[in-house]
Amino acid sequence: MTSDAYFDVTDSGPSGATVLNVRGEIDVATSPDLHERLFALLEAGSSLVIVNLTDVSFIDSTGLGVLVEAVQEARAGGGDLRLVVTRPQTLKLLELTGLDEMFSIMSSPSEAVKS
Amino acid sequence: MGSMSAPSPVANDLLRVELSLPADPEMLFLARMTAAAVASRAEFNFEQVEDLRIAIDELCITLLRSGGRVGHIALLFQWDAEGTLDVVGTLVPEGDPANNGHQPKSSESPLPVELSQRILDALVDDHGTDAIGGVHRVWLRLRRVRKL
Repeated sequence: MTSDAYFDVTDSGPSGATVLNVRGEIDVATSPDLHERLFALLEAGSSLVIVNLTDVSFIDSTGLGVLVEAVQEARAGGGDLRLVVTRPQTLKLLELTGLDEMFSIMSSPSEAVKS
Repeated sequence: MGSMSAPSPVANDLLRVELSLPADPEMLFLARMTAAAVASRAEFNFEQVEDLRIAIDELCITLLRSGGRVGHIALLFQWDAEGTLDVVGTLVPEGDPANNGHQPKSSESPLPVELSQRILDALVDDHGTDAIGGVHRVWLRLRRVRKL
């Protein structure tokens, strides 16, 4: 048993948004995988990337750091990256690091696409 | 980060758990699991159990950053009946640190380090780092929230 994270990508139809669904634990072992997935989407030209963290049971500073790098990259290219977060512990971590001010945080992928 | 000194050696009225694990990111889940079990045993509430899980992860990351990924991480959890929990983490190198690639990363982005500090500042009552005899230590203290 080790830390595990799983990813799958879905398109959100005509909106042009790409949703990266993440499951598992995002820590120092798995955050490089998150980095790879996110930057692959950005390099492929996705202008709006939605990272669905609903099923993430743990995230630490390394995972948050990847999200910050990715949103900066997205915005530098004229796009955006939004988060879907429902787990209280993840919301708390975003708040206490001040990152809730940086990200658009929604409660569902459909809401993130619309806003 | 606090200015107090690291927790003193174990006294008779303290309960203690020791964990040793490889200095390998893949193994940090063991530290988090142990932290959760210890916090539950020390009768911390659910939110504090989660806080400690995150804090221990950040403590271990700090140790990994300090000396690479050769050797093992030793964690000592000790707590008392009043609900004060101290954790001391030590990175124990293998062989000669000068010859095993045991060097801190200097090229790493400062962002995760800053985030890690913010998280520890917010989640625990006190934390810090020190070096004794050339051995790098990271420690934290969390006090149980009183039941209403």
